[in-house]
Amino acid sequence: MSVSKSKVTNSLLKSEKKSLFRFLTLYVAMVSILIMLLAAFYHQSQEKLMLAEQRATLSKYAYIQTKRLKILHHFFPERNTYPRDPRFRSAIYDIEFMKIFSLLEDEHINFDKEIYITNKYIHFVKSLDEYYLGTKYLIIEVKDDGVWRTEIWKHIMGYGLIAFFLFMVFGLFLAKLFLKPMRDSIMLLDRFIKDTTHELNTPLSAILANIEMMDTDVMVEKNRKKLTRINIAAKTVSILYKDLTYLTLEQERKNEDEEIAIKPVLENRVEYFNILARSKNITFVLSLQNANIFIDKRKFIRIIDNLMSNAIKYNKRGGTIEIVLEENMLTISDTGIGISEEKIPFMFDRYMRFNKSEGGFGVGLSIVKKIVDEYNMQIEIESKEGEGTKVVLKW
Amino acid sequence: MVKKVVLFIALISGVFSQDAYERNCVECHKELPTSLQQMFKKYLLLYSGEENVKAGLKHYLLYPSKSISVMSELFIDNYGIKKKSMLNDEELTEAINIYWEKFKVFDKLK
Repeated sequence: MSVSKSKVTNSLLKSEKKSLFRFLTLYVAMVSILIMLLAAFYHQSQEKLMLAEQRATLSKYAYIQTKRLKILHHFFPERNTYPRDPRFRSAIYDIEFMKIFSLLEDEHINFDKEIYITNKYIHFVKSLDEYYLGTKYLIIEVKDDGVWRTEIWKHIMGYGLIAFFLFMVFGLFLAKLFLKPMRDSIMLLDRFIKDTTHELNTPLSAILANIEMMDTDVMVEKNRKKLTRINIAAKTVSILYKDLTYLTLEQERKNEDEEIAIKPVLENRVEYFNILARSKNITFVLSLQNANIFIDKRKFIRIIDNLMSNAIKYNKRGGTIEIVLEENMLTISDTGIGISEEKIPFMFDRYMRFNKSEGGFGVGLSIVKKIVDEYNMQIEIESKEGEGTKVVLKW
Repeated sequence: MVKKVVLFIALISGVFSQDAYERNCVECHKELPTSLQQMFKKYLLLYSGEENVKAGLKHYLLYPSKSISVMSELFIDNYGIKKKSMLNDEELTEAINIYWEKFKVFDKLK
């Protein structure tokens, strides 16, 4: 079966976004660590290379200074001026690491290393065989101009950014591969629903029309009950059918927005759902003020139908549904099973069902969310497991 | 008689006013061609640090030997090896400490 992309499936679901976000976070973190490690190794190797180049020069300076110390030792104490050189600074330490004399700018000396970089200087530590003036360690210091470091950072930033960019391109490719099976399955489901819903319209309309036309007054009680059950079943299928056709076909139709008085619409829908509610002994508690909304009526009814249908479906037997209409706000509360707080953000995902014992495809709230977003309305859900759910719609 | 007493007191006080280094080292070394300063430099050249120099010097004074002397062959051939020090440990240590303080290089370079 071929799978084509549709407008419906183009947008990412919340669960898809979450998976994609997790994958990309992990990927970016790993790539960053990898690049940083490579940069650290590169920096270290370049530093070693620079020190190796400096080592020859500093070794020569140390040799010169040793000869000068030898002369000073010979003539000490008649001569007591420590030999200076404009090319470098130096210091002498005895075998017990006591400073004999120093001209260093940076006095932090690491006697364990032969050559190293301090803050802004390069130190070369030479261990003498003959201790002129008691000198065991001769330290030569030159200023580190930092040019090599600037060069290295330029390389690291340049190559690092290129590598990061390439890794990101590769990462997006991987992410696409990663999400493909998930999206394919959603598209297959969409196509299947689209194909099957076409076939449902005619028989469903016939059933509902004939139920409405039947005269229940002349029926015996037994048959009237049976007809009520048929009516409930047909209406349930009808809601599902409307949702599915909306999802697959109608939502691409142009909106016919108009000013709607909400109260009569709600009363009409309560009457429509009354037969379903009565089957579970659920009572409606209405508190309706006059309020208007500018919206496509078809879409508004989808919102109301889905919220009411859920309130009945997930309510307990003998429960209540409270509908409160105020200006710019509609609240529908049930006394049903409720839902845990961590699942609430995923409620609007298509095909997401938290209670498998109830029927449905899990498309209702996804339709509600789409319409709510389209008209810049707000929807809030408060729920407590075992106590019920409250949906607040604001516009 | 009074003159003799004054002379004796002056001599005694002169001797006791000297420190352990002056009393026990300087007198004998006066007769040698190499100064105590030069000898100190030889110790520095060999032992480097304060503790090392003091330990090496003390060992040599207690157990003088040609093999551990800092002086040249020529010097030893002409003047020989010194006799073993008869000073007690406290006085020997004091003399060495004074010797170090007098000739150490620290704070003398500029």
